[in-house]
Amino acid sequence: MTRDEIIERFIQNAANVAAEPVRVRNEEELNQALVDVLAGVDAVYCPAVTDREKAIVIPDHLRTDDYVNAAACVEEVFGAIAETGSLICSSQGGKIVQAGLLPPHHVAVVSAENIYESLDDFFSTLGETPPTNVTLETGPSRTADIELTLTIGVHGPGRLSIIVI
Amino acid sequence: MNSAHMSIPFRENSVKALGNATLRAAMKNATGVFTVKRADAVSSVPLEEWREEASQTRLKVLENLPHYVDEFESNARRAGASVHRAAGSQEARETVSSILRDRGIAKVVKSKSMVSEEIHLNSHLEQNGIAVVETDLGEYIIQIAGEHPSHIIVPAIHKDRRQVGALFAEKLACKYTDDPTVLTAIAKQVLRQEFVSARAGISGANFAVADSGTIVLFTNEGNGRMCTSLPELHIAVLSIEKMVPTLADLPKFIRLLPRSATGQLITSYMSLITGTRRPGESTGAKELHIVLLDNGRSTIVNGEYREMLKCIRCGACLNACPVYRMVGGHAYGSTYPGPMGIVLTTLLEGMNRAHPLLDATTLCGACGEVCPVKVPLPQLLRRLREQRAEEGFTPRAEQAGMSGFGLVSRNPTVFRLGQTVARAFWPIAAALNPGAAIKRLPVPAGRTFQRRMS
Repeated sequence: MTRDEIIERFIQNAANVAAEPVRVRNEEELNQALVDVLAGVDAVYCPAVTDREKAIVIPDHLRTDDYVNAAACVEEVFGAIAETGSLICSSQGGKIVQAGLLPPHHVAVVSAENIYESLDDFFSTLGETPPTNVTLETGPSRTADIELTLTIGVHGPGRLSIIVI
Repeated sequence: MNSAHMSIPFRENSVKALGNATLRAAMKNATGVFTVKRADAVSSVPLEEWREEASQTRLKVLENLPHYVDEFESNARRAGASVHRAAGSQEARETVSSILRDRGIAKVVKSKSMVSEEIHLNSHLEQNGIAVVETDLGEYIIQIAGEHPSHIIVPAIHKDRRQVGALFAEKLACKYTDDPTVLTAIAKQVLRQEFVSARAGISGANFAVADSGTIVLFTNEGNGRMCTSLPELHIAVLSIEKMVPTLADLPKFIRLLPRSATGQLITSYMSLITGTRRPGESTGAKELHIVLLDNGRSTIVNGEYREMLKCIRCGACLNACPVYRMVGGHAYGSTYPGPMGIVLTTLLEGMNRAHPLLDATTLCGACGEVCPVKVPLPQLLRRLREQRAEEGFTPRAEQAGMSGFGLVSRNPTVFRLGQTVARAFWPIAAALNPGAAIKRLPVPAGRTFQRRMS
C-alpha cells in the first residue's frame, strides 16, 4: 500500500467505528480544524509534550490543566493502525494516557507518517521493553450490557475526533 | 454458590430456567444477535488459517507452560511489578486482601475478571471489610442485584431493560426508566466518583506476554483503563495459562478474540500494561501486583484435557450452544457456563460436583466449529462423559440399561427379537404408566429401517 492508501484506509476504518476523522495538509488547517471541532467547548486540556502539541493554537481562556474535569482533551497521539482504525496512545515521553480517557470529548492529532498499515507492523516494533502503558483506542467508549443495545460514551469519551496531518 | 461437596443440580436449575419467560426471551435475543454478528465478522477473513495459527501458538505455550510463566514473572519483575504465585483460590484471595489491608485500603474499583469470580474474590474482600465496586456496566448491574454473571462476556445478559430500570430505581434511588442510554448515564455518574477517588484497582487479564512481562486487557467501556491507570495501586489477578510468547504474537489474538466475542474487529480499548510508572512517565500505577493463579492448571496441562487450556474466553461456544441458548448461564451453577464451562468446571471442581453438567450438551459440535483457537470441545465433552460412566456417576438404571442394550445389540437375532417384543409391549407399557417418560419417547416403527432397506 502507498502512504496515501494507508491513510485513507485508516480514515475509513476509524469512521466505521463511529470516530470522526478528518485530514488536513498543514498546521494552519490543523488549527482551523480544531476551532471547528471545539466549537462551544470551554475547558480544553492540551499537554505540550510533543512539538506538534506545542505549536497548537488554543486561546488561553479556553485552556485548563485539570484533565479530570476538562470538557475536551486535545493531544497528539503516538500513531495509528490502518487495519483496525485504532489510535495508539503511549505513555512514552511523559504522556498522560488517561487524559484522553476522562473528558467526554477526545481530539486526537495523528501525524500521517506514524500510521502503521497492520497490527503486525506496529507490534513487531515494540520489542521486549514497551512503555508502561500502550493503549489502542478504537472509536468512542461503548457498551451493550443492557439488552445488547449499543450505548456510546459509558466511562470513556462519547466523542472521538481524529485529525490526520 | 452451591456448597463444594454437593453435585450441581443442573436438571432442577434448567427446569426452573425453562419456565422463566423473561429469561428465555433475553437469552434468545442476545445469543441470536451475537451469533449473527460473529458470523458477519468472520465471513470475509481467512478464518481457518487464523484459527490454526492461534491454536498452534496456544499449544506451544501449553507444552512448555512452566517456562513461559517463569519468563513472564522475571520480565514483569524487571519492569517493576511484584509477582505472587497462588496454588489455589484461598491463597490468591488472601494475597489480594493482605496487600490491601497492609496499605489500609478499604475500597477498590474493579474491572471485569472471570478469574476473580472463579476464586470468589469479592465476597472474601467484603468479609474482610474491603468494599468492592464493579465498574463494567454489566458487572455493576449484577453486583447491585446480588447475583453472579450468566455469561463470560456480557454478565447481565439474562436481564431485560425493565428489570435493570427497576433495580436502579430501587438501589440507586433514581427515577424509573427503561431507556438503556439513560441507565448507562446514571451508572457512569455513580462510577466516575468511585474512579477518581479510588486508591486501588483490581483487574484480570486477557493475555500475559512472557518475553516482556506485559498484561493485556480488552474493554469497550474504558473502565479497565480507568481501574488500571487512575489509582496508585493496581492488582491484576490472572490464571497461568493466559501466556503468549511475545508481543508480536498478539495480533493474531486481537483479530480473533473480539470478532468471536462480539463481532467487533477490535474492542474500543486494548491496553498493554508493562510494570510500574517509570521516571519521566506520567501514566501507570506506582505499585503493581500480579497474582498468578494455578488452581489445578499445572495438573490439567499435563493430562489428556490439556487443550481446554487453549481457551481465550471469547464466549462464542456459549452463544452457539443449543442448551446454553435455552437455559442461560445460571443453570450451570458454576463460574463458567456453556460448553467451555462444562469442561473447565469438571476439571477444576471434580467429577463428583460437576457430573450433572455433562448432561448439558447435545454433542452437536457447534461449540467446536466456532472456537477461535480450536479447542476440541465436542471430543473433550465426549471423553468426560466416558469418564463419568467409568467412575460410576451415571444412575444405576442407566448403567443397567446401557449394558443390557450392549448385550442385545451385539447379536442380530436377539436384537430382532427385542424389536418385536418392544413393538408388541409398547402400548401396554404406555397404558400401565400414564404420564411416564415412555409417553415422550418415539413409538417403535412398524417396519424397521433395516427391513425396509433389505
